[in-house]
Amino acid sequence: MEHLLDRDAAQQNPVDFDHHSAGHATNWPATFARIRANSPRAWSEHHGGFWLATRFDDVIRIGQQPEYFSAHKDYDPATGKIGGGISIPPLPGLRGVPNETASPEWDGVRTFINRRFSPKSVEAFRAKAQQFAAALIDEVIEKGEFDIVEDFTNPLPALVTMELFGFPLSEWRAFADPFHKIVYTPRDDPFFAETVRGLDYFNQRVAEEVELRRKDPRDDLLGHLANGTIGGAPLDAETIQNLAFNILAGGVDTTTALTSNTLIHLAQNPEDRERLRNDRALLPFAREEFVRYFSPIHALARNVTEDVEVDGWKFRKGERVLLAYSSANRDPDVFEEPERVILDRFPNKHIGFGAGMHRCVGSFLARIMFEAMLNEVLDRIPDYRIDEDRLVRYPTIGNINGCIHIPATFTPGKKVGAKIA
Amino acid sequence: MKVRVDDGLCQGRAMCILACPELFDLSDEDGHASVRQADVPRELEAKIEQAVRGCPEGAIQTY
Repeated sequence: MEHLLDRDAAQQNPVDFDHHSAGHATNWPATFARIRANSPRAWSEHHGGFWLATRFDDVIRIGQQPEYFSAHKDYDPATGKIGGGISIPPLPGLRGVPNETASPEWDGVRTFINRRFSPKSVEAFRAKAQQFAAALIDEVIEKGEFDIVEDFTNPLPALVTMELFGFPLSEWRAFADPFHKIVYTPRDDPFFAETVRGLDYFNQRVAEEVELRRKDPRDDLLGHLANGTIGGAPLDAETIQNLAFNILAGGVDTTTALTSNTLIHLAQNPEDRERLRNDRALLPFAREEFVRYFSPIHALARNVTEDVEVDGWKFRKGERVLLAYSSANRDPDVFEEPERVILDRFPNKHIGFGAGMHRCVGSFLARIMFEAMLNEVLDRIPDYRIDEDRLVRYPTIGNINGCIHIPATFTPGKKVGAKIA
Repeated sequence: MKVRVDDGLCQGRAMCILACPELFDLSDEDGHASVRQADVPRELEAKIEQAVRGCPEGAIQTY
């Protein structure tokens, strides 16, 4: 078999690969190109040792076998002991539900939330997303300068997520900041523990709002968490926390990263910006191409539940494997000229929203938010320029490939009178 | 040409609806795809072939 892997040889010759390292953050496309060419099924000794899947075919096949490659995380709040899950190394704190569940728990939880995120349900948020985008640009348009992340791509998904939950919009920053910071703060940074504690405030607010909705039901996500059922039973307090945590974490920084990187690309490639500005029918195709190219969720892990072989690759029970979506999305066996952005690339079978059943539940809402932000910028400040010297990317992209600061200037314009609330 | 979606593989990636909105629908329940009709009109065959090649899960089959 072409890709037959000698496990022992691979483990005796590990790749020096750490997706959280500073070197990886600045050089990941070349690193993955080299690994795909030389040892596409690699072993890394970092973080306790894990297999690394870099080819598209391997990532999708592993993602499609959740019975052997589980996302389930064991977390004992009493002892703090963690096992499994989708992060290498494991993240402290809560378990993401449904991200870190396996069947049958997964089935119940996804059935519970799927309808809230279906294409038809999220369509109701399109007008809101456009209104928020207009209001955020109103805030800066007379000044002629803004920080794309701070003033636009971070607040917008946070505001839409607040609206979806039914939280007061004024609280967006208290919720969005810890989730934004936790993904790029290095774990040995003293600030990391503080950021983790920042999540406690969110948990407290979820509990308070759920309690309110038990007495006074409302048709928002918090009301659904408070009064809905899974398998006929109300949700217990822990499931509510874990589910709310997962939805907020998925909602607030991923679309931020995608849109930030896209706006950098369009500033650096004026011909793409002009083309997209003049042909908005291209936007859905370009959107998928940017998801492929930037892969905001860089890589996620699975846990081997029993000895299994995937197309000549033998795994042993208890091992961990990192699915590098970002690498699979640039696999030259699948994508022509993978290192180039081709706005109208199609077909485009990227796996930027995951592989297999754990498909990003918010993918349809993400698409709407992305389009709202792109349309607003292309309509109102199409000549924006980025100050590349002051651009700050995440120092670690092992979780999310995003940016901290993108200072930009543009020709000032007039407000349209849009309001956030 | 006929087309079908394997619901065991479909995860709601929605690339088929970009390829051929004329023949695919996405569920209001979970975003998974279905075909409006199995028979593919000749003028849509090229779009359906794009949908097959564009599905990351390999869930769309022609027969």
